Amino acid sequence: MIQEQNLEGWVPGSDVPLAEVIDRAFDYRGNVTVERSDGTELVGYLSNRDAHAREPFVQMFAATGDGAITIRYADIRTIRFSGKDTAAGNSYAAWLERKAAAAAEGKPAPQR
Amino acid sequence: MAVPISQMWTVASYVLGQRLRGRKRYPLVLMLEPLFRCNLACAGCGKIQYPAQILKKHLTVEQCLGAVEECGAPMVSIPGGEPLMYPDISRLVKELVARRKYVYLCTNAILLKEKLEAGWFTPSKYLSFSVHMDGPRDEHDEAVCRDGVYDVAAEAIREAVRRGFRVTTNSTLFDGANPLRMRGFFDDMMSLGVEGMMVSPGYSYSKAPDQEHFLRRQRSYDLFRSMLERPKKAWKFNQSPLFLRFLMGKQEFECTPWGNPTFNLFGWQRPCYLLQEGYAATFKELIETTRWEEYGRKSGNEKCQDCMVHCGHEPTAVDYTFTSLRGFRDTVVASVTGRL
Repeated sequence: MIQEQNLEGWVPGSDVPLAEVIDRAFDYRGNVTVERSDGTELVGYLSNRDAHAREPFVQMFAATGDGAITIRYADIRTIRFSGKDTAAGNSYAAWLERKAAAAAEGKPAPQR
Repeated sequence: MAVPISQMWTVASYVLGQRLRGRKRYPLVLMLEPLFRCNLACAGCGKIQYPAQILKKHLTVEQCLGAVEECGAPMVSIPGGEPLMYPDISRLVKELVARRKYVYLCTNAILLKEKLEAGWFTPSKYLSFSVHMDGPRDEHDEAVCRDGVYDVAAEAIREAVRRGFRVTTNSTLFDGANPLRMRGFFDDMMSLGVEGMMVSPGYSYSKAPDQEHFLRRQRSYDLFRSMLERPKKAWKFNQSPLFLRFLMGKQEFECTPWGNPTFNLFGWQRPCYLLQEGYAATFKELIETTRWEEYGRKSGNEKCQDCMVHCGHEPTAVDYTFTSLRGFRDTVVASVTGRL
């Protein structure tokens, strides 16, 4: 079991169960690369997954904008966390830290 | 009480109708998110933290109307993203008003004055601009991470009121909010001419022992009690007084997450507006296949223990009002006397 961390760039090992990799990809706010069993790949945002469906599946919006594209769990070899984590460093707590640091240096609050 | 009688009547007859049909789980307000794009980048906002191809996309008006029909809720809240950046917002609102849906267009109001001047909207009892205002000037500008937004929004509120629109404010409060300053903020908002205000605690989730959850809840009660005890006559709240009593710790409600279902680019969000645990393809599928027993405080779900947010608990308060004599009596008394 991996701990809470920035998953950007993560390439799961074969010891991590596919269902866990998919759950992580579903929570991930950046694009991922899905490697299919037939060797093809799809880069995009994994927007949904249903492990309880009769045929478990994921849904993706491709980086090109196409979607939603449905892929069965059974057709997925693995998922690489290839895209930038768009949520990293953007929490409210992180912003408060940046603001406090700016104040300590006598600078105005950072604007977004 | 700032909810117009006609809207209250629509909601009351809808709730009673649902109960007479034996529907235990029914929607009250559809949270319709036509896009995730926004002209602000508030720290911690998960809606804007998507890759570019998602932020560029939006629902079509037909998809939005399909969701509205499918769900059947009498009220539609349009958050986002920033709905005034949705290119078809004018047509969407017209269509919803034509269907006699009570629409709350939730906006940061940066573009509101411009859109009003461009004639995008027509005043109607079915349309309210619900302007995001998280407190007095300093607090609000800090919450949205940009200076000057409070003043722009206040100016847009004045303009909308002047043009005869219904305007409400919605404020999300986090730990550390100053009750005295918030009371001053309520005075300021009412003096701008808004019809009513909405308040809700922000959502927080962290794995913590029971004692810590209890303390967090107690802090929320203390905050809302300090703010809302002895409310001024001029203050109007566009929400259930029983929900406000719940925030003050005077009433206990369990979450009814199906009361404010959320529809967006990804489908029908499970189980609620705040938690994203998957999406159903249809509203029916959402209602019938979501494991509702796994959510809410009583379920023991760690993610629900600190939550007192309006989208889960206000539908409970409204249901209680119209399905119990005590709930109805308490709501009438609070509305008439103004005491919470």
